[in-house]
Amino acid sequence: MSTQAASSCQQNGRRLQKDLAGGLLLVFLACLALWVNRDLPQGSLDAIGPAMLPNSLAIAVGLCGFLLLMSGSIREGERVEGLNVRAAIFVILAIVAFAGTVRPMTIGPLTTPGLGIAVAGILTIMIGGFASPDARLKELIVLALGLTPACMLLFGDLLNLPIPTYPQYLNSIVPPGWSQKGILRGIVALMFVSSAAIWALGRNRPRSHPETE
Amino acid sequence: MADLFSGLTLGFSVALTLQNIGLAFLGCLVGTLIGVLPGVGPVATIAMLLPLTFSLDPASALIMLAGIYYGAQYGGSTTAILVNMPGEASSLVTALDGHQMARQGRAGVALGIAAIGSFFAGTVATFFIAILGTPLTKLALLFGPAEYFSLMVVGLVFAVVLARGSVLKAVAMIVVGILLSTVGLDLETGQERMTFGSQLLLDGIEFTVIGVGIFGIAEILRNLEAVETRDTVRQAIGRLIPSRSEFKQAYPSVIRGTFLGSVLGILPGNGAVLAPFASYTLEKKLAKNSSRFGHGAIEGVAGPESANNAGAQTSFIPLLTLGIPPNAVMALMVGAMTIHGIVPGPQVMTRNPDLFWGMIASMWVGNLMLLVINLPLIGAWVRLLKVPYRIMFPAILMFSCIGIYSINSLSTDVLFIGFFGIIGYMLLKLDFEPAPMLLGFVLGRLMEENLRRALVISRGSLETFMERPVSAALLVAALILLVLAVLPSIRKGRDKVFTE
Repeated sequence: MSTQAASSCQQNGRRLQKDLAGGLLLVFLACLALWVNRDLPQGSLDAIGPAMLPNSLAIAVGLCGFLLLMSGSIREGERVEGLNVRAAIFVILAIVAFAGTVRPMTIGPLTTPGLGIAVAGILTIMIGGFASPDARLKELIVLALGLTPACMLLFGDLLNLPIPTYPQYLNSIVPPGWSQKGILRGIVALMFVSSAAIWALGRNRPRSHPETE
Repeated sequence: MADLFSGLTLGFSVALTLQNIGLAFLGCLVGTLIGVLPGVGPVATIAMLLPLTFSLDPASALIMLAGIYYGAQYGGSTTAILVNMPGEASSLVTALDGHQMARQGRAGVALGIAAIGSFFAGTVATFFIAILGTPLTKLALLFGPAEYFSLMVVGLVFAVVLARGSVLKAVAMIVVGILLSTVGLDLETGQERMTFGSQLLLDGIEFTVIGVGIFGIAEILRNLEAVETRDTVRQAIGRLIPSRSEFKQAYPSVIRGTFLGSVLGILPGNGAVLAPFASYTLEKKLAKNSSRFGHGAIEGVAGPESANNAGAQTSFIPLLTLGIPPNAVMALMVGAMTIHGIVPGPQVMTRNPDLFWGMIASMWVGNLMLLVINLPLIGAWVRLLKVPYRIMFPAILMFSCIGIYSINSLSTDVLFIGFFGIIGYMLLKLDFEPAPMLLGFVLGRLMEENLRRALVISRGSLETFMERPVSAALLVAALILLVLAVLPSIRKGRDKVFTE
């Protein structure tokens, strides 16, 4: 809520003070904790209940917040700087894309397909890359296709960690007798080759068509 | 003394197997590789690389983790010297003179003396731990829940003293951290606390998730704010080995830094973070011509780097002997030990002597590895640091996601690093320092457990904390520290140390 307040103040050309925003945030957090714990027994000192410590801590947090609010309203402090909204959106989207695709995830009526690192890694790099205003598409493609297979090899092949590396449905469509490691290595090789190919293409292009860059 | 030597012999017999040397080497290498990336400090590095150690036996896993830790530390210093973009408070000081040396074409010497100083500090600190380990473990057995609780209060107050900026904000962050640690099932009654009815929060919040969110993702968001102005040194790296006169100039600082760091590192509440600042201030005071500082004085690199490494190492002492993690990195070590079924504390030494001594010996091996691999690889790190951030951060983002997913195989953990990333970013924007919050979170659960146990023993009387002499002394010390932190004259001095 404090960010909303902060951004609305920003539009007026005046930004909320850091101490005020911080104080509001703490008071909000304290109230939230107290509200969530409203039904838990406090207990007494010789038989502490589950809510005693969280509630006392929440009160302490609220008190800190209140003091900050006071000091923020008494003296003029620094103001909140603008948040980098673009970066936050793309980074969060990238993380959500990874979580949603690495293995099947059910959100309400929807279930995402489990696509493994092969897809999740590429998506993370491609989406996350645009958090920076100087993102370049080709660079990101080369990076995604180069780094993802490296991680697949490390986590799936060398370390044998239980992390899905490639789309599950591939197991059902390949001819019987192909081992999982075989499929994994095949995909890895394919990705490395395409990464290298795109990189090589990118190197030649600016020379032949300088105006396209 | 005989104990010490038989212990060390046992330790080296564990650490010096071919497999464990290899793992220490690998740990140092990948730790440095990730730690060199700007904006990725030891906490994020270790959390990301934790899954690499899952398939190993406990001793080997901890040896590799220790390697990752030292690698990450040294990687941070490398970045500080070459790029002047210190990711971590501890390498902030190194950047002051280290980067100036680099601009004068003496980057090699700065990196060299940092590595040599760190190695010396590491060696001394290893012995320090070995010598202090046994007596402190015995002392720890005398500690009851009240003493543990009071000791952790001292740790938290110390963290307030060490935090930059407003004392009130630091206190708030610590309390928020403890509050976060109470999320999940109540250990005694089994009732849900602050879970919002969600299954995901039943076991509480995973420390690695908070660590990567706040130190990894939030750091990316902050770095993306600034237009990229990384000033990687363009000058030649130059020779690595300091000349005789440079060495003569630097070695007293190395020795002073080592002792300062070793002592500060033992203090609960992340005293290690103070070590480089204290060392820098000391060197500046002792120097005949203090105006050289900030313009490439070799003592300004040698002292703080040694202090930093010694402190990083002796901060294992509270963990290994008392089972109290003094900082976020040690909390990750607790996590790693728990995964392998070891509960850190005084009993580790008696129950798993091979683990205890093996780890101590591997600290020394890890430090040697750093010297062996880092100096020849500096060229590679320089090249890595020339990669623009727009390419680096998507890679960091992907490593974070894969690392966090691998720990519990939970997609929701990945979502949570995004959530804590945003929280961490907001905290940075509002001038709240996240480090005290993490320490509060780390110690929160232990504190609650000990508080409740102490109160059960005393039948609900809070006086028990003042009646027991050790506990009372610790609480008085905490109070004095807190008063000192608030006193205006001391605060000025503190701010001066941090802004220098």
